[in-house]
Amino acid sequence: MTNTQIPPARAARPGTPPSPAAQRPPARDRGTRLLATLFLAPTIVGIVVFTVVPIIGSVVLSLFHWNVIDSPSYAGLSNYGEVFGDETVLVSFRNTLVFMVLAVALQLLVALVLALAVNGRMPVWLRSVFRSAFFFPLVLSAASISVVMKYLFNQDFGVVNWLLGFVGIAPVPWLTSENAAMATVVLVYVWQQFGFSFLLFVGGLNNIPKEIHEAAALDGATGLRKHLSVTLPLLSPTLLVASVVGIINALQVFEQPYVLTNGGPGDATRTVVMVIYENAFEQLRFGEASAVGVLLFVLIMAVTALQFRLSRRFVHYQ
Amino acid sequence: MTDSHLTRRALLRYGAYGAGAAALAGTAASWDRLTGADIPGRDDGSLVVATLGPAYGPEAIRTLQEGFAELHPGIKLRINAVQAVDWSDFFAKILTQVAAGTAPDLVYVATEGVQLFAQRLGVALDKWVKRDAAELKEYFTDVHPSLVESMMYEGSLYQLPVEFNAADMYFNRQVLKRAGAAFPPADWTRDDFTALLRDMKRSSGSRFTPYFWTNRLWGGVVPWLFANDTNLLAESKAPGGQWLWDGFYPAGQRVGRGGGFRWTTPQATHDRVEEVYDYLASLIQEGLCTRPEGGNGQNLIGVFSTGRVGVTPAGGFWAGGLHLAGMDRDGFDVQYFPRWRTQRMQYGAAGYALLRTSTMQDEAWEFIKYAARRDTLDRLFATNQTTPARRSLLTAERYEKTGPAHWPVFYDTLDRFPDTGPIPAPPQVAEVEQVLLKHTGTALASPRSVRPALRRMQGDLEKAMEREV
Repeated sequence: MTNTQIPPARAARPGTPPSPAAQRPPARDRGTRLLATLFLAPTIVGIVVFTVVPIIGSVVLSLFHWNVIDSPSYAGLSNYGEVFGDETVLVSFRNTLVFMVLAVALQLLVALVLALAVNGRMPVWLRSVFRSAFFFPLVLSAASISVVMKYLFNQDFGVVNWLLGFVGIAPVPWLTSENAAMATVVLVYVWQQFGFSFLLFVGGLNNIPKEIHEAAALDGATGLRKHLSVTLPLLSPTLLVASVVGIINALQVFEQPYVLTNGGPGDATRTVVMVIYENAFEQLRFGEASAVGVLLFVLIMAVTALQFRLSRRFVHYQ
Repeated sequence: MTDSHLTRRALLRYGAYGAGAAALAGTAASWDRLTGADIPGRDDGSLVVATLGPAYGPEAIRTLQEGFAELHPGIKLRINAVQAVDWSDFFAKILTQVAAGTAPDLVYVATEGVQLFAQRLGVALDKWVKRDAAELKEYFTDVHPSLVESMMYEGSLYQLPVEFNAADMYFNRQVLKRAGAAFPPADWTRDDFTALLRDMKRSSGSRFTPYFWTNRLWGGVVPWLFANDTNLLAESKAPGGQWLWDGFYPAGQRVGRGGGFRWTTPQATHDRVEEVYDYLASLIQEGLCTRPEGGNGQNLIGVFSTGRVGVTPAGGFWAGGLHLAGMDRDGFDVQYFPRWRTQRMQYGAAGYALLRTSTMQDEAWEFIKYAARRDTLDRLFATNQTTPARRSLLTAERYEKTGPAHWPVFYDTLDRFPDTGPIPAPPQVAEVEQVLLKHTGTALASPRSVRPALRRMQGDLEKAMEREV
């Protein structure tokens, strides 16, 4: 049998620097590294070209005034000053944070409840049906869904108010009232997105050993107590992943508010990415749009870092 | 004994080498695609014309290309139908092409973008118009001067209008009949309009809304502002343009014409603007009209044609739109916008703008002339998807199949009310429109919210107008 272990590098005598030959990794090791690099190269190139370079480009562009038509002119930090002095931008950050809290909380709650339900006593075929059904909205285009939802939630002609009429509820201004619009956007977003968290939770629940539940049952834990004391702690790594991904996606929400309400009424549902789009592609202020983009990037990084920091306290690995 | 089999490691290595080689070969083979060099018409000497996709189907594009090739066999023409949901989306895509260094030679531009393009990207057509004056005389005779003036900027002409749409009032005849109401006369008033809405409401079920409107620059609040003899921004005329009016229009039609419109000081807190918002808020409170909704009115055809809406503002484009939706020619009709202090109406027009970056400006001018010809427009607008800018194209025969019965209203909006003008669209139009839509939504939330919302609108408009695009 071939020995595939890599021999240890010859130890240098104490006090003498190792020779270059000793520093160089053995040939087989170099081959392995080259092979690994070759495999990773397409992904690394993709990330650099399509993620890192645009991020650097945005940071650079945020320091310039540029309207596409004329040459860029250096602006220093004045775009950031403009952004912080713009009430619409500040409101959009507030809206985005409110949206994030509502959408992620609801998404995780709905996904968790449904995952627990589907994971319970249920025929295998029915479980598959539910899994597919819950995941299905995620593969549809958010813009298409939003167009359909706009019809459904129309105050005067929508199906939703028509159905509510049967039970004597007056038409609700789902998309045209400042109070209801954000809730409607959250509902539409959650309906489309919860399938991802749902699948994560189903996978996570399947990974929890049955013995632990049985032991808990022997100790007298039932229904809700069992879930609170056993299921949730053991599911916490999955919850962390779902919440991190959910928060990153929610902070970048665009299609739903853009199509459903166009950010209105007033600024009630205007999100940060909408402001970036409007600044750049409607008002030709690419510098300011980039500044907002950079701030959003910083916000996402900060929130994600905070989550990982807090996860040390709340996440339990088996 | 030597193992003649490949080890997994070796297989992986050769696989990786193979994949790398394949990736390199693939990249080399598709280099033209990656760099966009294979895009039809790019760098092949074609005259590239960008049009708004949904307005120009394959049939229209073929019509334009074939007719132009007959006239100018030496000029290669490529029509790039840019798919966009509305004009601002279209402009964004054109500007992206400009930024990428692949600007077209000509762009189809509506009122919303006329001044932006004229100020930053366009070429004045004055020298060509003067040179070919004899050829163009027939065109100007056929086109209302207001439409031409809307295509002027600071004394120069930047486009020849080929189509326009004024915001007239469309009625569902079935709803009128149900309400026992007569078709309103041409000189009807705002109060007549309100009474008609009440009649409609009384005679229809709870699932019925008499008046539907869309919150946008064209056809939203603006027609009411015009009817109340005011505007969102103070309107005036730039000096100049006499070379055009004196050369092509009789004395009677030159009066008051200038070098294009100017929209300057915001006046959202003007008493008359407030009156308009108060009126619309009262209609909403009474359940006579919908809350303002963003968007482009796409969901309107369905609810109008099925009789769930009685009245709505729309342009000549709806004659074709309702026909396509299956509505019978006698199922709807159109009348002027009701009189308030005036009966001045608003419109949006469109034509081709020539970009400064074009290296084929003379050829582009030939296309502009060709696109404004009577026979071209006749074929292009055969389905009544818009109102042709040429008066002579509006005939009983054209509207025989689609309706409406009162089709002369489309062009008479200009002839009967000569002060009818374009929607306010300064170079800062994108921000102006956004401010208008945003605060209109807030203002009409309740009668008490009108004044504070208009104050905020005024502040935002002032900021928008101070900004250089």
